[in-house]
Amino acid sequence: MERATNLVSLRILANIVPVALGILGVLVANFPVSFLGGHVAPPLLGFMPLYFWGMVRPDLMSPFWAFVLGFLEDVLSGGPPGVWAASYLAAYYMIDSQRDMLASLSGVGALTGFAVAALIACFSAYVIVCLLSATVLPLAPMLGELAITVIVYVFAVFVFGAIHRRLVGPLRSDF
Amino acid sequence: MANSSWRIGRPRGGAQLPLALLAALAIALILIGKAQSNLFDRARANLTDWAAPALEVVRAPLAGINRFLGSIGDIFHVYEENLKLKEENARLRQWHNQAVVLDDRVKRYQLLLHAVPDPALTTVMAQVKPGQAVIDARGMIGRIFLAGDHTSWVILLTDLNSRVPVTVVPGNVQAIMAGDNSGAPTLDLLSQNVTLKPGMQVVTSGDGGLLPPGLAVGIVVANPGGGFRVALLADPASSETVNVVDFKNKTELPPAVSPKDLPAAAAGLPPAAPPVETPPAGTAPAGTPPAAVTTTPKPAKPSTTPPAQDGSDPGDE
Repeated sequence: MERATNLVSLRILANIVPVALGILGVLVANFPVSFLGGHVAPPLLGFMPLYFWGMVRPDLMSPFWAFVLGFLEDVLSGGPPGVWAASYLAAYYMIDSQRDMLASLSGVGALTGFAVAALIACFSAYVIVCLLSATVLPLAPMLGELAITVIVYVFAVFVFGAIHRRLVGPLRSDF
Repeated sequence: MANSSWRIGRPRGGAQLPLALLAALAIALILIGKAQSNLFDRARANLTDWAAPALEVVRAPLAGINRFLGSIGDIFHVYEENLKLKEENARLRQWHNQAVVLDDRVKRYQLLLHAVPDPALTTVMAQVKPGQAVIDARGMIGRIFLAGDHTSWVILLTDLNSRVPVTVVPGNVQAIMAGDNSGAPTLDLLSQNVTLKPGMQVVTSGDGGLLPPGLAVGIVVANPGGGFRVALLADPASSETVNVVDFKNKTELPPAVSPKDLPAAAAGLPPAAPPVETPPAGTAPAGTPPAAVTTTPKPAKPSTTPPAQDGSDPGDE
């Protein structure tokens, strides 16, 4: 009985961890303190858990959570509402349709897969903002944000991998 | 980084229907946000107000770390920095002396011309309102576009939605400085027959009555793609303390006209006798004075120019 209660608690924790990391990532990325002197756009920290668990555990990172993370990014970044929500969903569509291929990648290939997904998200946001403002905006800020996001993901993926193996992933076999 | 060991927890393509529904919802959000941005702005203000105490607690140590990281590089350049600052200080002292002389001259000119001095700028201590300018020690950073109870959102000069009327000096060239999410906003000149040069100063023009005139903004730089941009003086990322300028555009009244200001009096001639008119018979009783000519100047009407630089309420941005 006690074991069953513990398993339920662990299952709830495992369900919460990916989304909680996504929310934490959005909060940290939009925190009004810049460690890079404001010269580089903050990385899309909320997108990283979305990609990682959207690929390996889509039951824990559903399209609904992609929408929620994107909307939170919209609210906290001060941009027009719906832009990042739509962009994250566009990237999620790519992850969902190419999941087998993305999950089989390793090393530089895995990083490239993330870079392509992040490019889809950033470029979607860029296009939507251009359409909303009826002007062609410079690409440099978008590319800078993409670059710093990919660089940070190199380190973040090891953290996500460890969390997945020790906390999220192993629990799946119990159910 | 290897993903080959991951097992997928759901069949591929299982999210297509929710994706389509949520994508439709996201597009609806974009359209609603475009039409009714106040709804989301209010939500943002409430959210940041609610999170303000936590933000303040977390911010202090992070800002300390940020300062420490930023100062690591400076340690290796202390000597060069010191020499540069001494040189700059000497140059600024010369400018200070020149400014004192010019200030005195301007005051004398104002006295001669009966000019109304520019309204003094006051810093807001109590109530922050949308549209107010936000400045740091170097220049303008942006303006308030959303004011909550405890926190406010600032639209930076570099923001896509930022439009600020500016004056390029010398030459008094009027322009609109427009942000495009890059580090240096663009300059849209209001007149085609002017020539700008890199290095000219950009200050706020005060047009529209919302921002005070003369706030330092930046320096004109050439745009590699053509045209000009503004290298901003202020750096929002490194500004920890800013001032919110409370500017009220006071109605400028011309000085009251006294009899000695009349041309005849100024020329030393006696004032002309008032014309004597004979009223038509039957229109006025005998002894009725002639109709007086009003010479009292009417006060100028307050400016009816829209307050926002781009013609819209700042809160709508």
